[in-house]
Amino acid sequence: MKWRKSTITLLLAAVGAAATACSTTPPPAPAAPAPAAKPAPAPVAAPPAAAKVEEPAKPISAAAAANMANNCFACHGPRGVSPGSIPSLHNLTAGNIASLLKAFKSGERPSTVMGRHAKGYTDAEIEALANHIASVSKK
Amino acid sequence: MSRITRRDFLKLAGATGTAAALGTFGLSARAAQGKGPRVVVIGGGFGGATCAKYLRGGDAGIAVTLVEPNLKFITCPFSNYVIGGFRTMQSITHGYDALRKKHGVNVVHDTVTAIDPAAKKVKLKSGKTLDYDRLVVSPGIDFKWDVIKGYDEKAAQVMPHAWKAGPQTVLLRKKLEAMKNGGTFILVAPPNPFRCPPGPYERASMVAHYLKQHKPKSKVLILDAKDSFSKQGLFMEGWKKLYGDMIEWVPGAKGGIVKAVNTKTMTVEGELDKYKGDVVNVIPPQSAGQIALKAGLADDKGWCPVDPKTFESKMHPGIHVIGDSSIAGTLPKSGFAANSEAKIAAAAIVAMLKGETVADASYVNTCYSLIAPNYGISVAGVYRITEKGIADVPGAGGVSPKEASEGFREDEAKYAVGWYASITADVWG
Repeated sequence: MKWRKSTITLLLAAVGAAATACSTTPPPAPAAPAPAAKPAPAPVAAPPAAAKVEEPAKPISAAAAANMANNCFACHGPRGVSPGSIPSLHNLTAGNIASLLKAFKSGERPSTVMGRHAKGYTDAEIEALANHIASVSKK
Repeated sequence: MSRITRRDFLKLAGATGTAAALGTFGLSARAAQGKGPRVVVIGGGFGGATCAKYLRGGDAGIAVTLVEPNLKFITCPFSNYVIGGFRTMQSITHGYDALRKKHGVNVVHDTVTAIDPAAKKVKLKSGKTLDYDRLVVSPGIDFKWDVIKGYDEKAAQVMPHAWKAGPQTVLLRKKLEAMKNGGTFILVAPPNPFRCPPGPYERASMVAHYLKQHKPKSKVLILDAKDSFSKQGLFMEGWKKLYGDMIEWVPGAKGGIVKAVNTKTMTVEGELDKYKGDVVNVIPPQSAGQIALKAGLADDKGWCPVDPKTFESKMHPGIHVIGDSSIAGTLPKSGFAANSEAKIAAAAIVAMLKGETVADASYVNTCYSLIAPNYGISVAGVYRITEKGIADVPGAGGVSPKEASEGFREDEAKYAVGWYASITADVWG
């Protein structure tokens, strides 16, 4: 389970590239559809376009992302600066962190405990908490 | 390896001695100063110290007063390694300078004697009173004395519990060092729920680690109130591999439940047999910390029901109970969980004081245990709120694999040490 630095760099580069390719931005809402020929029997509460917004489940607020990310510092040190044998996070970008977590989650990257943790988050949650870690660790 | 020296003893005496006088100055300074909301935190351990720090980090306008009797905090995590002989007391002792100087927390070394939830006041032993807008109670556990007949505070001087780290840790280590080769070390393990579920079994491992090197004819006998325990398969695998038959575990169903102890004859009375030990370590049944019980924050079982999203008490609004004292669903009573709960409670309190919506909570726990200094195992969990309260996220978490390679166990032992360095920096740094 020993990871040479070069292997890590390679992996980071590889998964990092893959991650940047996918976008978290939802597709733009379509223009309001043409009204139906027949009037609806009852008034509709919301315009049809609103239903589309439901797609990416529930948006993750910055505060909820912080709540998830703060847990990481118990092992990885305050703001991701680890004083001991556990890797620091402060030198990683949000993309790096998200890619690593996804690789741990899928098992593509072996780990002692990180796989067990990463499986607790959706990909969207991973991206949100990675963004938070990267934002606070640079302060 | 390292023996408990006279110097360790003296340092310890200084660390645990209360010093109300030192605390009172800072108290008036901040209380007089702020127009911002006031939060008082009771207890400077993993829960309380984390909460104080993250409250200040979340909103520097909040005046945070932390009340803790001891000048320094000695952690239960890693105290088993002092008993095992490869960690010093000093290395598990943490002060409050960073909380004061880096984070602007008003740390008061005093003891809370009463809470008035209606008037929102906390009374201190020194006679002072603190007003609060929100209160955080994080007092850890206390013991239910005399549930095991004959086991009271006095008996704990002969048969140490060492389940609150400090002089008890040193006492147990000294007794182990004085034990003869061929002796029996009896460990009485408590019923659920209790602080640190894998702790008693890690302790048995650490005792065996010491005995194997210095007194190899000796035995470790665990008399357990339970029929199963945390990371059981992994512990048993490690025990067999490293210590052969040295450790014997007697579950509750097979006579492990201890009814009484006698400190004069050094005997422990089970339901079926009497056992004589050369060293007896009794970890008694537990409840929420005394102040939580006294303030009416606990239910009839002795633990504190809370809202899973904010850790606000279900008994008294405006008071948040975190850490071992709280009923936190499937989260264990661990330092890690207390740290996780503290951060969520801090964020919730910051939002509540501003009248903002409280964000969704997410909790994590990881407990490393050492079976030997180079043999580590772990249990991990990710937790969310369901209709049943705080619950494990299905498919995540779990224990280390069985029959893993030596390298895997070594890595986890190394990460255990790294975890301690990180979390203590997160709490007191």
